[in-house]
This record gives sequence, structure tokens and C-alpha cells, in this order.
Amino acid sequence: MPPKRKAAPAAGGSAKAGRASALSTPGPATPRSLDSSMMSEADEDLDEDVTEAQKEREELLGQEADEFVNNWAISSKRFQNQPEGKKHDAATPYFGKRDFSGLPLKPDHLNRPLWIDPDKGTIVLERFNALAEQATDFLITIAEPKSRPTFLHEYALTTHSLYAAVSVGLRPRDIINTLDRFLKTALPTSIRNFIQQCTNSYGKVKLVLKNNKYFVESVDAEMLQKLLKDEVIGKLRVQGSGDITTTYAPTMGGLVIPGTKNAAGVHQADLKQADKQEEPGKEADLYASLNEEDDDDDKEAVHAFEISDSAVETVQKRCLDIGFPILEEYDFRNDDVNPNLEIDLQPNTQIRPYQEKSLSKMFGNGRAKSGIIVLPCGAGKTLVGITAACTIKKGIIVLCTSSMSVVQWRQEFLKWSNINPDDIAVFTAESKNKFSGSTGIIVTTYSMVTNNRERSHDSKKMMDFLKGREWGLMLLDEVHVVPAEVFRRVISSIKSHSKLGLTATLLREDDKISHLNFLIGPKLYEANWMELSQQGHIAKVQCAEVWCPMPTEFYDEYLRANSRMKRTLYAMNPRKFQACQYLINYHEARGDKIIVFSDELYSLKKYAETLQKFYIYGGTSQQERMTVLENFQHNPNVNTLFLSKIGDTSLDLPEATCLIQISSHFGSRRQEAQRLGRILRAKRRNDEGFNAFFYSLVSKDTQEMYYSSKRQAFLVDQGYAFKVITQLANIEKTPNLAFATAQERRELLQLTLVDNEKGTEDDIETDDLFGKPGAGAGGRGKKKPGPGVRRTAGTLGELSGGQDMAYIEQNKGGAHLKKNQKANQSSFFKKIAREKERSRK
Amino acid sequence: MPRATGGILIECEPAIKSIIVHLDSVSHDIIIEDLDEQHLLVRPNMVHLLKQKLEERLKETYRPEEPLADSDG
Repeated sequence: MPPKRKAAPAAGGSAKAGRASALSTPGPATPRSLDSSMMSEADEDLDEDVTEAQKEREELLGQEADEFVNNWAISSKRFQNQPEGKKHDAATPYFGKRDFSGLPLKPDHLNRPLWIDPDKGTIVLERFNALAEQATDFLITIAEPKSRPTFLHEYALTTHSLYAAVSVGLRPRDIINTLDRFLKTALPTSIRNFIQQCTNSYGKVKLVLKNNKYFVESVDAEMLQKLLKDEVIGKLRVQGSGDITTTYAPTMGGLVIPGTKNAAGVHQADLKQADKQEEPGKEADLYASLNEEDDDDDKEAVHAFEISDSAVETVQKRCLDIGFPILEEYDFRNDDVNPNLEIDLQPNTQIRPYQEKSLSKMFGNGRAKSGIIVLPCGAGKTLVGITAACTIKKGIIVLCTSSMSVVQWRQEFLKWSNINPDDIAVFTAESKNKFSGSTGIIVTTYSMVTNNRERSHDSKKMMDFLKGREWGLMLLDEVHVVPAEVFRRVISSIKSHSKLGLTATLLREDDKISHLNFLIGPKLYEANWMELSQQGHIAKVQCAEVWCPMPTEFYDEYLRANSRMKRTLYAMNPRKFQACQYLINYHEARGDKIIVFSDELYSLKKYAETLQKFYIYGGTSQQERMTVLENFQHNPNVNTLFLSKIGDTSLDLPEATCLIQISSHFGSRRQEAQRLGRILRAKRRNDEGFNAFFYSLVSKDTQEMYYSSKRQAFLVDQGYAFKVITQLANIEKTPNLAFATAQERRELLQLTLVDNEKGTEDDIETDDLFGKPGAGAGGRGKKKPGPGVRRTAGTLGELSGGQDMAYIEQNKGGAHLKKNQKANQSSFFKKIAREKERSRK
Repeated sequence: MPRATGGILIECEPAIKSIIVHLDSVSHDIIIEDLDEQHLLVRPNMVHLLKQKLEERLKETYRPEEPLADSDG
């Protein structure tokens, strides 16, 4: 049975936000060891270089955000005012708080697809209902998908989802009416209140950057008056900017997202024209424009007042406090101050329907909204980002997680768009270019931007450049991996008009995801994995969990071992080894390319060496990695590749069609999903009847079972079904089956125990699979050095600074020059010089 | 000289047997005779305690279901 699914954001979550170190992060039941927790390591790396004061400030901010998040949870008192007329009968005690018999069913409830939980805002959708399609479309707009197996889908109504709904232009009235229409029961009052209160406060006030000035904008003039009367905000308004100005709400009008079908026939010129037609609305002259465009009745008047740049953060905060969170939008088509960037998608690029859908949510009203788009791995997140960039056509800053993905992003940009290669620059430790023109694209990593330590002169200059500019769009890749504090730092240091986060797995074991909603924006779109795989955009995957019993001698040892050894032991389980061997044989015979993942380095090596396969881990040199990957891709004799956790993300091997997992990072749902992502983009996915395979090998009766079920939760929610295999047919007939005899097993056990006595060696975390050249080679087999001390190899001369210096005589050249000059002087000057000398005497 | 001792025969999976042996290794007051992979003879008076200890032990391995967020009834 799957364990706890992630509850509605912060429902009853302990407000334990302030974290002194990464390790005190409240992580539900995921034990972390100091040396192997990936997440905490990443956190620490980024935290090292922050001053104490800043940490404190961030802690405070984090707490505030937590409080705020809790405050808005649906179960919060403010929405649950009166109990519905609950009936009590003999069966009531059996259902406890989940007795919803008080909600009367509608007479025609069979024709309606939705159930609702009035306390939690959970909506259950019957997929088999005739109205399911329409209901799905509607629910995706107003609620967050929680779980989407075949027949019943679960959605949660949250503040963020409602916030997102309002931001695409839905009105509370519409939401309530439509929901009521689909519901089998009458709409509970608590939900009605919740929707009304959320939608009333959300999205009503917008923060718009127009002509590089910040405006607080609202459809409702009274709302603005209310804000102006507020003691904090009122003062921050720019005086002399006149009264509240009134303009027209922009419509989707002339905006065409490139790459969509609409874009096919539209030329740039048309776009400009369309823009101009709407332009008159910008002037405050209400009546004139009314007369001009009286056929456009549906336009809404918008009121705005200006605030100064420095006050933005304060205003945002204050609005949050008084319950009117500000929505950020960027009216990029009317931004004349920031120069336009020459960028468009390649003419032959067609974006897929779901990519179009996600982008239309972002550009729903002709302005760019900030938010997060969730697409499965391999579904073209990069292209979504690039298309967004091509739509906005302003300065773009792309933040990614590693220097390898920096290079990849740049290549993707060049591949999909017609951008001038000079306009797209890279800012990493190795290269610090600027673009040539007045605007362009910068690709960099989170750590480069948040690093507060001493920088080299070049990167400092570069940072100042980044900070000094206004960016049209900030693309945040793999948004889930970075702690909220880092975002706060990034966002406060780099000014951008809109932010777009991209991720496949919007989840963290520490439930800090809800903060992102406030830092970046709401989740704009989340793709349905199952739907995509049915349409052939990602591969169909068969998931299986293989249970491997532990031999008695291993289990005895397991019971005695410490937690570290336990992990090694359940990875080294010989039955697991046999299962792995069997599966490799089976799939190689089918012509599959197989990746085997192991977090446990010792078992990775042992497995690969025994089975005579290639393996790559943190310590593998760059050269070797490249050769191995090359062979895996093209050599028909190399069909299996063993990878440590460095291959979890950002590895693009479309050849791989089968994946076996022999050890993993505790109960990390993210890792499971990311690993699955390695085979989702399988090249052969559109072959008739093609299936990719994902096996997770689990040692029975160990903690691995528990972790495994926890890890699967996310994928199960996406609609994947894990088959449990307890017995692999004919496994004992495998030729050369390893560890078939008790004798061999005992030897393996002894070897494992002896080899791991001193503690196992850790995987060296390099950047990523393609890491920096030489980064791994130096650290082979060594434990990661603790912070503070760093060991580097070098000659004594180099360390003392003697390497680059050479003796140069400064004046020598000058003296020569003089002599030559003298020689070249004409006789006339010689004469003058001689005379001068004489007169001096 | 032969001696007769009363005992309770336990039949279980090898893994459970391993756990019982491990529990026994502390004070050696549970098991009378280790018969084979799946069978044990234990002291009758310890059966209750053994069950309890086993339960605890299994809880460590398979952590009890965390109460679902919405099952506080």
C-alpha cells in the first residue's frame, strides 16, 4: 500500500521553517545521513557562502512564508465557519470525520462526474463518466491534480490553483457555477466560501512593469482606493503621477505564440498592427477610446497607480499581509524601454499541443505571467522555455543546475530558434562572455548567481552586469532542486519582469514546494503523463518491482549491521544480483539497451565487474565517460551500462529502453521519477507495441521495501501501475548464474563485510554525468573533503606563484628603442641635439 | 542422561527466523533448539514476549503507515 501521499500544501504542517542548517529541514520520515544525502548536500553547497546575517533574514522570510501558507490552507478556520447539517445514525462512528452523508445527492447524480470533500477541498473525478472530458479540462484549470490513475482522478482545490484560475481570467462566479454543475452533491458552503474568499483576494491586484515603471493595477477601482488608504502602501505611491489612471485590459488580441498553428500565417508586421489597434486604450482618455472601439464592448477598464522601483518588495509584502496578494504580469509588447531581441523559432518548428496549452496559460491575456510549468522528463521542457523566450523577445536569463546543462541550453536555443550565436552568452566558472548587442540571452547556473564568496574579477564584473539590467524573462530550469532561500537570493539580486519555472517533478521531500508558489508564481500547467504516453510523446513504460528474498546468512548479518552496512547488504543481496543478471540477459536478448542504476558505489562496481559491463560513477574520468557513452549508443555489443546517481538527471540517452534499479536514495520520489525519465524519451517509442521497462529490485524484509513503496507514490499518482514480481520464471536456468551455491554466497558476504568494514567509499559528486574535465579524476576514491579545507595537486613552484612569472627586464626594450631612434634620426635633428648638449655645458 | 523440556514449535519464513535468532542472541532465553531454516523450538513462557518483540522489530522495518492526512477519524 502506498504510504502517505503529499497532503494539501501545509495542511496542518508544522511551521518549522527557520532552518539553521540543511539538516534541520523538516523532511517527513526520510532519514538523511550526513554524507550521502543529495539534497542536503546541494543545500549546503549553496549555503556555505552566505553570511550569518543574511541567513537570519532568510530564516525570517521563510517563517513568514510558512505562516502565510498555513493561513491560506483550506482547513484553516476562516473558511470552515459553520458545520453543515450533519446527520447522525448508527453508521456515523465508522466514518469519523469522513462522513459526508450530510451532503444531499442531486437526483441526476449518475450523470455528474465529481465528488467533493467539503473539509479538505479534495475533488474526485470519475473518469468513466460521460462528462469526464469537460470536467477534466475544468478541473485542470481550477485545481491541482493529485493522483491520476485510470478510473478515478483526485484533484485538490487549493489557494494556488484558484489563484492560477483567476490569473487565466476565470471569475469566481463561473468557477462556482461550473463546479456546481459537475458535482453529484450540492456545493458545500465551506467550499463556496473558500472559492469566494480566495478569488476575491487573489489576482485582483496586479503588479505590472510598464515602460519600466511599476504599476499596481486592478480592475476594481475601489480596491485601489483601499490600497491607497493603507498606511504603508499609500506612502509608497509615486507622487505627482496623477490620479489613478485607467486603461483597458489587454486581450490575447495580436499575440501569437510562435510555433503554434496560428503562428503559421502571421507575419511580424501583422503583429505590430494588431498591437497598434489596441494602443489607444493606453492613454487615459477613456471616452475617446470608448468611441473608437465601441465594438469591443467586452473590454474591461483597468485602473492603476504607480509605485517606485524600490518599493516593490514592500508593497508586495504589505499586500500579502492585508490579504490581497499581488499578481505579477509583464506587458512585454508595450515595453519600449528594453530593446527587443531578434529571436524567433525556426520556421519548421512545430510545438506539441500540450506545450501550446501550457504556454497559452502563461500568455493567457497577452501578458507574460510568472509561474511554473510541469512537464514529464523528455516531454520538451526546453522547447517550452525557448518558445516562451521567442514570444517575449526581450533579454532572457536562463538558470540551470549544472554547467553541462548550461551548454545544452545554449545548443537547444541555437537549434530551435534563429538567434544569432553572438547574442547568446554563457556565464559559468569557465567562460564569462557577454552578448554583443544591446540585449541577448545569458545562460548560467544557480550557484554562479548565488555565490557570495570572493569572486574572480571577471565574474564580479559579470554579476554587476546581470544585476544592473532588467531582464524580460527569467527561465528557471529544474526548479524543484533549489531551496527556496536560493530563489529569494536570485530573485532579489536579478531583476526580471517575468519568471518561468520548469520542472518534471514538482515535489520535495521537505514539502517546501508551496513556497515556490509565492516566490515564482503559481503552477500554470501540469501535464498528464498517461495522456502524453498515449499520444506517443513519451514512451509507454511497464513498471515492476521485483522482490528478492535475502538469503539467511545475509539477513542474519543485516540484522546485526549498522544502517550504513545495511544499505550495502541489501544492495549486495545475491538473489538481487541473480535477478539483475537474469533481467539483463532477458532484455539484451530482446534487443533492449539497458541502464542499471545503483546509488551504492560498492555494489555498482561489484555488479558491473562480475557481469563484465561498463560502469560510470563520479570518479570516472571525462575521457572514459565519453568513450563508454559513445559505445553504449552506437556499439551493438555494448547493451548494458551501469550508472551511479550521477546519471539520474540531465542524461540524454534515447537508446535506452530498459532500466533496472538496484539501489536508490531512500524514499526519494523525485529520484524515482527522474530515473524513469531516462527512458521516457526512448527513440523507439513510436514502434508498434513498444514498451519501455522499469524494474526496481528490492530486497525482501528490509527497509528497502518501505522506501520503495514511498518512492513509487509519485509515479503511482501519475497513473503508473507497479507490478510486483515475486518470482522470476526459470531464473535458476540462467547460464552462469552468479552466486548459485551457498558457498559462493558466503564468500560474497565475507568479501562485502571485509571490504566495507572501514565504511564504503562515497560517490564523488561531480557536476553531472559529463562533469568538468578532470574533476573526477583527481578525487578518485577519496572522500569528499569537508568544507574549509581543500586539497589540490600542484607543484611547489606553482603554489608559491612561481609558475607564471618570468624575469623580464623592463627597461631593456626602451633602451634599445632609444638607440635605434638615435640611429634613425636625420642629420638635422642630430645637429640640434648636439647644440643643445653643448649649450647645457 | 536424556532430559525432556517442553517447547513450542514455531514454523516461519527464514527471515522471521533470523529475526528471532537475533532477538535470542541477547540473553539466550528464547530458543531451545534451532531446527532448520523454517523451524524453531522456543520456550513456552517466552512466546508472548517473543510476539511482542517481533512486532516491534517488524515495525522498524516496515514502518507503520503514517496516518493519512485525511484519516483522523
